[in-house]
Amino acid sequence: MLMMVFDVCSHGLLVLVLAPLFVGVIARVKARFAGRTGPSLLQPFFDLRRLFFKNSVYSRTTTWVFRAAPLVVFAAMLALSLLVPLGISRAPAAFTGDILWLAAMLGLARFFMITAALDTGFSMEGMGASREAFFACLGELALFMNFITLALLAHGFSLSGMIGVDAPLSWEHAGPALLLVAASLFIVLLAENCRIPVDDPDTHLELTMIHEVMILEHSGIDLAYMLYGAAVKLLLFAAILVPLVIPFRTGYPPVDMGIFLGGVTGMAVLVGVVESVMARLRLNRVRNFLLIAFVLAFFAFIVGLWRM
Amino acid sequence: MGTLFQSAWQVPFGAFTFRIDLLSAVFLVAITLLVVCAGIYGAGYMRAYAGKKPLGPHIFFYIVLALVLVVIATASNVVLFLGAWEIMSIATYLLIVFNDEDPAARKAGFLYLVMAHGGTFCLFLMFLLMAHTAGSMDFDMIARAQFPPVIAGTVFLLAMVGFGVKAGFIPGHIWLPHAHPAAPSHVSALLSGVAIKTGIYGICRVIWMTGGLPEWCGYVLVLTGVVSGVMGVLYALGQHELKKLLAYHSIENIGIIALGLGSGLLGRSYHDPLLTMLGFGGALLHVVNHSIFKGLLFFGAGAVIQKAHTGALDRLGGMAKNMPVTAALFLVGAVSICGLPLFNGFVSEFIIFFGLFHGLGHLPLPGAVVCGLAILALALMGALALACFTKVYGTVFLGEPRSLPAPERVHEVSVWMIVPMMVLAGLCLVIGVLPQPWVRLTLAAGAYIARALPSGVENVLAPLAMVTGMAAIFLVLAFVLAALRRLALSGLRPMALVPTWNCGFSGGTGVAPRFQYTASSFARPVMEFAKGVLLFRRQAPSIAADFPGKADLHSSVHDASESMLFYPLFRRLTSLSRRIDINRIRYTQTYLMYIFVFLLVLLVWKLK
Amino acid sequence: MTAWIDASCILIVFFALAMLATHRLIGVIQLFAAQAFVLGFVPFFLHAHDLSGRDITLALGTLVLKAGLVPYILFWAIRRVSMRSEIKPIIGVGASLIFGALLIAGAFWVSLSLKLPGKPLSDLILPCSLATVLLGFMIMVTRTLAVAQVLGYLMMENGIFLFGLSLFDAMPVIMEMGILLDIFVAVFIMAIVVNHINEAFERSPGSNRGKMGESG
Repeated sequence: MLMMVFDVCSHGLLVLVLAPLFVGVIARVKARFAGRTGPSLLQPFFDLRRLFFKNSVYSRTTTWVFRAAPLVVFAAMLALSLLVPLGISRAPAAFTGDILWLAAMLGLARFFMITAALDTGFSMEGMGASREAFFACLGELALFMNFITLALLAHGFSLSGMIGVDAPLSWEHAGPALLLVAASLFIVLLAENCRIPVDDPDTHLELTMIHEVMILEHSGIDLAYMLYGAAVKLLLFAAILVPLVIPFRTGYPPVDMGIFLGGVTGMAVLVGVVESVMARLRLNRVRNFLLIAFVLAFFAFIVGLWRM
Repeated sequence: MGTLFQSAWQVPFGAFTFRIDLLSAVFLVAITLLVVCAGIYGAGYMRAYAGKKPLGPHIFFYIVLALVLVVIATASNVVLFLGAWEIMSIATYLLIVFNDEDPAARKAGFLYLVMAHGGTFCLFLMFLLMAHTAGSMDFDMIARAQFPPVIAGTVFLLAMVGFGVKAGFIPGHIWLPHAHPAAPSHVSALLSGVAIKTGIYGICRVIWMTGGLPEWCGYVLVLTGVVSGVMGVLYALGQHELKKLLAYHSIENIGIIALGLGSGLLGRSYHDPLLTMLGFGGALLHVVNHSIFKGLLFFGAGAVIQKAHTGALDRLGGMAKNMPVTAALFLVGAVSICGLPLFNGFVSEFIIFFGLFHGLGHLPLPGAVVCGLAILALALMGALALACFTKVYGTVFLGEPRSLPAPERVHEVSVWMIVPMMVLAGLCLVIGVLPQPWVRLTLAAGAYIARALPSGVENVLAPLAMVTGMAAIFLVLAFVLAALRRLALSGLRPMALVPTWNCGFSGGTGVAPRFQYTASSFARPVMEFAKGVLLFRRQAPSIAADFPGKADLHSSVHDASESMLFYPLFRRLTSLSRRIDINRIRYTQTYLMYIFVFLLVLLVWKLK
Repeated sequence: MTAWIDASCILIVFFALAMLATHRLIGVIQLFAAQAFVLGFVPFFLHAHDLSGRDITLALGTLVLKAGLVPYILFWAIRRVSMRSEIKPIIGVGASLIFGALLIAGAFWVSLSLKLPGKPLSDLILPCSLATVLLGFMIMVTRTLAVAQVLGYLMMENGIFLFGLSLFDAMPVIMEMGILLDIFVAVFIMAIVVNHINEAFERSPGSNRGKMGESG
C-alpha cells in the first residue's frame, strides 16, 4: 500500500517536472531555428510561477462553469497521467480498458474547456470552441483507430500493454503496422495539443487560433492551471509515442529510464523542428490533415489484420 | 422466475398472463422511475395550463400510458401484449396532441399514429408467425419452440421493422423528432425515456424467444445501430430547437443500444459468452441510463421553455444566472449523455466498448471488422455528442441573454419541477461513481437474454472498480487545486467583476449579446464536413452593391429519410388510394356497406 | 532485409495517400519523386545477397528516370506555362481519402485470394502494389488537371513495377513491360508539355496569360 502511494506520488512529481521542461525544449529548438539563443529551458516554470502569484480577473458574464474549467482540465490531466507509463514500468494505475477512461477524461476536460469559452460570451472564444469541438471529432476517430490497431497487435487493451511497456511489441513482425501507427499518433499529438501545423501556440491573431483563443479570458492562477494542463497533455501524448518507437529494453531500470528520457527529449525536438519548418495549415485543410491520421491508422489496421 | 399472475380472458387465444423475469425487471426499473419522476414534474409543469385547458383527460391518459407500459414489460401472452401495445400507441397519441390548437402538434400526432400502426402491422405478422411455429400464444411456450433459420430470420426482420419504428431506428424514426417536442415536457421525457424503449424491449424479447438466430442478424443490428447513432447525433447537431435536438439525441442513444444488442447477438452467434453478456448487458444498462439522463434533460428543457417561452437556441442565453439550479442539473445530464466519466453514461458505454474490444480479438474476421467499425462509430458519437451538448449548454445557459424576455423576469422553477430533476441527477452520479450493483443486475439480465447464467462478470467489474478509484483521485485533485487557488487568491486584493475583456472591442462595455457565437455557427464546421450525408442547406444572399442592404442567412438540416423516403411514399399512397376510390365516398352508409360485406364473406368462409 | 522491403512497401502506399491529400501541384510532384525514390531501392533489398547486373540496372534506371528526370520535366513544364495552380479534384480531398482507404482495404482483400507462382520475399509487396495501382487510378479519375492525371498514371505504373518486382525471377516478361511503359510515359509527358505550351501561346495575349503569370 505504502509502496503504491510512493509510486503514484513519484509518478505525479515526474509528470509535473517533465511537462514544463518539454515545452521549454520545444521553445529552445524553435529559437535555435530562428537564429536566436532562446529562453532558458526553465522559462515555462518561471511563467507558471509568475501567473500563480497574480490575481485572477473574472468577467461578470461568466458563471461558476468558467471557474471550474481550469480545475477540471488540470485535475483531469493529472489523473490521466497515472494511466500513462513513464519509462519502462507499467503505469501505476493501469487496468484493462484504461484507454476508454483516457479518451473519456480527455473528453471531460474538453467539455469544460469549450463551455468555459462559451461562458464568456466572447465571439472569438466561441469560434475557437467551435473549431475545437469539430477537430476533436476527427481526432477522436483517428485516436480510436490507433487504439483498435494496437489492441489487435498487442492482444489486449490496456494502454501499458498496447504501447509495449509490458512486453516490447515485435517490430520484426508488426513493424509496418507500428510504423503507420506511430506516424498517425504523431499527427494526433500535433492536433490534440494544438501545435503547428494545426494551430499556432504563439500566435496573437484571434482569427487563427483554437486553444489559445479559448483561454483568452482566463487570467492569473486559472491561466496557470490551463497552461500546466496543456503541457501535461502534450507530455502524456509524447510518453505514449516513445515506447512505441523505441521498442528495446536493456533490463537495467536506470538505463531504460535514460533511454526513455532521451526519447521524450527527441520527441520535443521533433515537435520543435516540425513547428519551425512547417507553416500553419489553412483552417479548412486541418480536417484533411486529421483524416490522413485516420487513414494511416486504418491502413495500419489492415496491415495488422493481414499479418494476423 | 415464475408466473406472477394468470387468469383466463374471454378474448380468443388471450390470457392475462404476467411474468417478471430479469429482462422485465430492468425495464420495469426504468419505467417506474421515470413515470413517478415525470408525474411529479408534470404536476408542477401543468400549473401553467390550469384554468386555460381541461387537464383531466391529460392526467387520465398519462396514467393509462403508465399502466400500459408496465403491462407491456410484463405481459407474457401475445394477445395481451399486442392489446397493450395498441393502447400505448393511442394513449401516446392523445398525450402528444395536448396542444391541439397548434397544427404542428396535430400533424406530429397523426404522423406518429400512422407510423405506429405501420409498425404494429409487422408485429402482428411476426407474432402470428411465431405463434404458428410454436403452436402457442404464450411467450414461455414460444421460447421453448425450435425455429428453423428462415422463420427465425423473417421473425427478426419483422421485429426490426415493427419494433424499430417504435424505438426510432433510422429510417423509421421520422415521427420521433416531431412528436416528442410537440408534447408537454414531462410527456416528452416519458416518451423519450421509456416509451421508445418498449421497442428495444420487444427486440430483446424476440431475441430471447427465438433462441438461435442466423449470424447475419447480429450484423444487421450492429449496422442499424451504427447508422442510427451517427446520423441521429449529426441531425441533432444541426437542430436549432432545444426539444427537437433532444429528440434526435434519443435516436442516437437508441443507436448505441442497438449497437450493444447487436454485438451481444454476434457474441451469441459465435459462441463467445463474454461478448454476449457485455453486449446485451451494456445495452440494457444504457436503457436505464438513457431513461435517467434523457428524462433529466427534457425536464431541464421544459423548465427553460416554460420560463423563456421559446426553445429556439439562438434566442436563448445566460439562463444559468436566473435559473442556477436547473442549469447545474442540466449540466449533469449533458455530461452524462456525452458518456463522460463520473456519470452514468460512461459506465454503459464502457461496458459496450469493453465487449467490442473483446470481440475484436476473439471473433472471426468479419465479426472483428464489424466490432472495429462499431468502436469507431461509438467513439465518433461520443465526440459529436460532446460538440452538440457543449453547443446546447453554452448557448442556452451561458453567456448573455440573446433576446427578450427581460432576464429579470426569468426565475427558477417551482420545487415540484426541481425535485425530480435532482433525483435523476443524483442517480446519474450514483450509477457513475458506484456502478457495481447496477452492472451486476444488467449483466445478469444480459446473460439471461441469451438464456445463460452470467459468467466472467469480474472481467468488467475489476476495471470498473479502478474507474471508481480514478474518479475519486480526480475529485480529490480537483478539490486540492480549488483549495490551492483559494489560498493563492486569499493573499491578494479581491478583484471586482469586470465586463468580458473581448480583446478590447466594444470599449470595455463587455460583450454585445447579439455578437455572441450562435448555435448554428458553432455547429457549422461539422455540418459543412458532413454535408455529403446530410441535407445541409445554407442560404446566404450574395453581396453585390458597395453598401449592401439588410441581409438574412438561413441554415437548416433536413432529414433525408423524411424528405426523400417517407414523404414521397405517403404522397404515392395518397394518390393511389384516390385513384382506387373514384367516387370519393361521402356517405357513412357506404363504409357500413363495406363492413357488412366483409362480415358476410367471413361468415360464408367460416360456414363452408 | 524483409523489414526494409516491408517499410518500403508501406512508404510507397503512404506517399500515394499523401498525393491524394495534397492540394498543390508541386507538392504532388515532390511526393511522386519521393515514392519513386523509395521504389528504386526495392530491387537492392530484394536481392541484397546476390546483386546482379540486372538488379543494379533496374534500380538505377528507376532512380534516375522516375525520381529524377520525370519530376524534373514536370517541374519544367509547369514553370514553362506558368501554371502553379492548385489541383482541382472532382470530389473533395476528404472524400477521396476515405475512398482511398477503402481501396487499400479492397486491395488487401483481393490479395487474399490471389495466388502467385513462387513466394515473394515479403507478403506486403503484392497488396501494396495493387493498392498503389488502384490509388493511381483513382487520382486519374478524380483530377481535372492534366498534369495531375499524368501523375496518377505514373503512380499506377509504379504499382505495376512493384508488382513485377515480386515476380522478378518467375516472370521476366513483366519487367520488360514495365520498362516499356516507362518509355511510353516519357513520351506521354512530352506530349502533354508540348500541348501546354501550345495552349499557352494560343490564348489571347495579355489577358489570361498575364494574369496566370502574376498569380503564381
